[in-house]
Amino acid sequence: MRLPALGVRFLILATFGIFFAVPILWLILAPTRTDKALIMGHPIAFGSFHQVALAWKHLDAFSGHIYRRWIANTLYYALSATAITLVVSVPAGYGLAIGKFPGRKLVLSLTLVVMIMPAAALVLPIFLELNAMHLIGRSLSVILPFAFFPFGVYLAYIYYVTALPPDLLDAARVDGAGELQTFLRVALPLAKPVLALIFFFSFVADWNNFFLPYVLLADSNQYPITVGLSDLLASTPSFNPSVGGGGQSVNIFKPELALATLLAVVPIAIVFVFSQRALVRGLVGGAVKE
Amino acid sequence: MTSEYAEATRRRGLRNLQGMPFVLPYLPFLVVFGIAPTVYALELAFTNVDGGWVAFHNFVRTYDDFRFVPAFKHVLVYTSVWLGTLVVFVVGLALLLHGRANRVSAGFRFLFYIPGALAGAASVLVWLFMLDPSVSPGSFLLHHVVGASIFAQSIAPGNLPFIFAMIAFWTGAGGWIVVMYGALNTIPPDLEEAARIDGAGPITIALRLKLPLIRKWIAYMVILSFATGTQLFVEPEIVQHASFGLVPDTWSANQLAYQMAFRYGDFNGAAAIAVDLLVIGLAGAVLIVTRSGLFRTDD
Amino acid sequence: MKVNRRRLALTLLAAVAATALATSARGGHKASGVSGSITVWVDAVRLPVAKLYAKTHPKVHLNIVTYDGDGNGATTMQTKIQLWNRTNKGWPDVIFSEQANDPVWMGQKPFDYALDLKGVFPANLLKGWPKPSIAQCTVNGHLVCLQDNLAQEVLYVNKKLMSQFGYTVPKTWQQWAALGQKVAAQHPGYIIGTIGDSYGAWLYLWADKCPISQVTGVNTVRINASDVHCTRMAQLLDPLVKSGVVSYESVFTADFATKYGGDNDKILLMPGPVWYAKDIFSGTLHVPPGEMTAALPLQWNNEPLVTGQVGGGPWIVSKHSKNQAAAIDFVKWATTSLAVKGKVNALSPGYPSYAPAATVWLKSLNKDPYFAAPEGPAFQKAANLIWQGWSMVTYPDQPVWSNSVVTQLVAGKSLSSLLPALGHGLAQNAQAAGYKVVTN
Repeated sequence: MRLPALGVRFLILATFGIFFAVPILWLILAPTRTDKALIMGHPIAFGSFHQVALAWKHLDAFSGHIYRRWIANTLYYALSATAITLVVSVPAGYGLAIGKFPGRKLVLSLTLVVMIMPAAALVLPIFLELNAMHLIGRSLSVILPFAFFPFGVYLAYIYYVTALPPDLLDAARVDGAGELQTFLRVALPLAKPVLALIFFFSFVADWNNFFLPYVLLADSNQYPITVGLSDLLASTPSFNPSVGGGGQSVNIFKPELALATLLAVVPIAIVFVFSQRALVRGLVGGAVKE
Repeated sequence: MTSEYAEATRRRGLRNLQGMPFVLPYLPFLVVFGIAPTVYALELAFTNVDGGWVAFHNFVRTYDDFRFVPAFKHVLVYTSVWLGTLVVFVVGLALLLHGRANRVSAGFRFLFYIPGALAGAASVLVWLFMLDPSVSPGSFLLHHVVGASIFAQSIAPGNLPFIFAMIAFWTGAGGWIVVMYGALNTIPPDLEEAARIDGAGPITIALRLKLPLIRKWIAYMVILSFATGTQLFVEPEIVQHASFGLVPDTWSANQLAYQMAFRYGDFNGAAAIAVDLLVIGLAGAVLIVTRSGLFRTDD
Repeated sequence: MKVNRRRLALTLLAAVAATALATSARGGHKASGVSGSITVWVDAVRLPVAKLYAKTHPKVHLNIVTYDGDGNGATTMQTKIQLWNRTNKGWPDVIFSEQANDPVWMGQKPFDYALDLKGVFPANLLKGWPKPSIAQCTVNGHLVCLQDNLAQEVLYVNKKLMSQFGYTVPKTWQQWAALGQKVAAQHPGYIIGTIGDSYGAWLYLWADKCPISQVTGVNTVRINASDVHCTRMAQLLDPLVKSGVVSYESVFTADFATKYGGDNDKILLMPGPVWYAKDIFSGTLHVPPGEMTAALPLQWNNEPLVTGQVGGGPWIVSKHSKNQAAAIDFVKWATTSLAVKGKVNALSPGYPSYAPAATVWLKSLNKDPYFAAPEGPAFQKAANLIWQGWSMVTYPDQPVWSNSVVTQLVAGKSLSSLLPALGHGLAQNAQAAGYKVVTN
């Protein structure tokens, strides 16, 4: 009775696995092939390593090694903002979960409302605020809005509500610990899974955020990789006919774009793998499902 | 008044502020990047370009725009398809993965998640190829399921809600699967053991034990996905660029808001559309919060 | 005595004028004395030009910002200018845009960014731009931009295939259509053109003087898709699209390249802009060398020859610029200097708008061994044939063509049946953008 169930389970997972994986496989193979082979050859095939080196050469040469700067910028923005997010969101989620202060529900509701507000409408006021703070054109103009991560607050809130037994906290309080001690000694260590989750989602959200940096940053040297990639795309004739004649000399074609995209995904894949371990840890009771 | 009573009152007073200090660092961020801009946008929605109060004029005016109704129709169809597939498959896949936590499961989780790492512009290249029957690895499916032999047929207007739902699922499901999996991990393993000892099969355990325990997480996912669904922007923008305009840049309501704001400089109209979307998202949120008890902390 | 004084004054005046003319006509690779600092926004393709200016003009501190070029219907520049206007600072001194209609809204409220170049840009140099080009950059009487390169439409010919099949190059649309019928019967699978690109209307309707984008007054645009110039072209194209000899796929799609380019090599003829030349045929479509050339654009029976245009990027100068002299100098150098425009290379991949530079540039193009025969003569003649009755407007018309015409052509409808939808869609966009729509 176990075996067929196992088989069905695997079949379903594998089917979805193929759906998710095949386009990625294509993306991984794309830099190894020439532009012509991508269009006229078989969809999934390996080209050559030499082509990858060539693609990297072109990509790196684009606009004065700006690709490297884009990756560096994104790492800087994402890591800084995520650090702030962790320090701010986890205690906030905790406070909302165990708290009884007036306005608790208000903060929760407002957080939700703000998450549901379309970004297109918020861009202008945020721009004006940052301008009033004289931050336009500086990294903080990107890092500070990134650090506002209501999703993280909610993740922490739900985690603490569902997974933290109040007896544990009471036990600490009876021992004479103050609120801060209780948090640091009891609640925080238990929050490893949600810390990992928030770190992960915040980092990825910041890494992938396009709209805000696109609007706020004027200098292409400050772009994160998302805005940079769309610039790259716009320099490719096959994606942007308006580039007209001359697109060829910029040397960015599909293999280069594929490589640029792939390299931009690597940090996220790394963060994912590292967050996984912490995500998998069990809970109160200590059992670890590996 | 006994001293005990006074002591209890004082403690109750303190307890009334319990938790607040932890929330304080978050509040400036909430105000500066959340509340203040939202209020500003709300104000824009009800005023005109000179700041004068015009009540619902912006709402009526944008409703009359020839792109408004089609845009909202599109997101309605899209959101239904998207939400349905998301909830069923995300929860289903998370439960399947959790059934036997091992390295295979971790491998699948990684696989499901990786597409989510591709941000907007990055996906353009991939989907331009995936949707083009002449070069796509999935051309068999495109020919036989979608009935398309060229790219322009893949993205024929009637197919768009489903195409976007597919792309959004491809990029978004993995993240939620990770969240649900993490949620399932908060279930004490003894509960599962006890149920198994009682003779419950894996499906029963999944549906009767695990599912109800992650109710709050599912509610959260539905609220957010409903809002992100109605606020669809990235996927139609991607396909619009990849198709050189075969898909209009005002296909979804959010795209229309963006165009209003930046192409025409009509921030008041854009704010009105944003408020429309906010109201829709909130309605969904309120419905789900009340029905699932998301804000209750006493269970 | 009086007469002598007057004559003296006049002679002096003439001398001064002559000197002035002579110095400005030098075109200057010597830095003309401008200094200070300016900020220019360019796309990746124009970056080498900006870099070279910085190198050859050390007195000017050039701050170069690369951006996506605002091409393909993007709203990058609208977004940025809106925000700069709100904070009253941040505007660059010079912008290069890939969208030919950007200067139109840049020159009007609420954006109000573009400087009127009339009177500020050396008038004698302006004479070097073809009249249609100056007309395209003139909005409400103000010269809001200068085209960097032209994009006139010509007829591309695969010389090798044409002689292989024994066909003669058509001179009129009628001959082209008749040839198409022959090709459909004798060599199915080969094509003589495509209308699937987002700018298909510019290639076929603009070239036949169809009045669906004609500014006739301030904020008034004439859109009449049932005009005979539109309907007759549609009727000409319908059977050709039906038989497949005119494709409805964009040249930029992978499918088009697979079907008609590369080893299949099935493009017999193709109306297209000058920038197709090598970049599209060799780069995108991988058509083998030694086959392609260009002929004059097609003529309607024996009506005067006009043609369309597909783009042609403009330079725009900011009216907020604090260093107008340097900004103008930059644009002047970028558009007219032979150091930039003299050869076909990364600095000047496109056909220069400035006619004297174009003549030199063409010499270089004609030497390229990729082509079966020099394309220069056809390019040069077509530069002055662009129909001026198609105006740039603040809203982009390509998306309307793409999603109300091309999507339906793909579904099997005829172009003639789609013209009303096209006209209607354009009218809606025009009205949303604040234009008054007329049919006459």
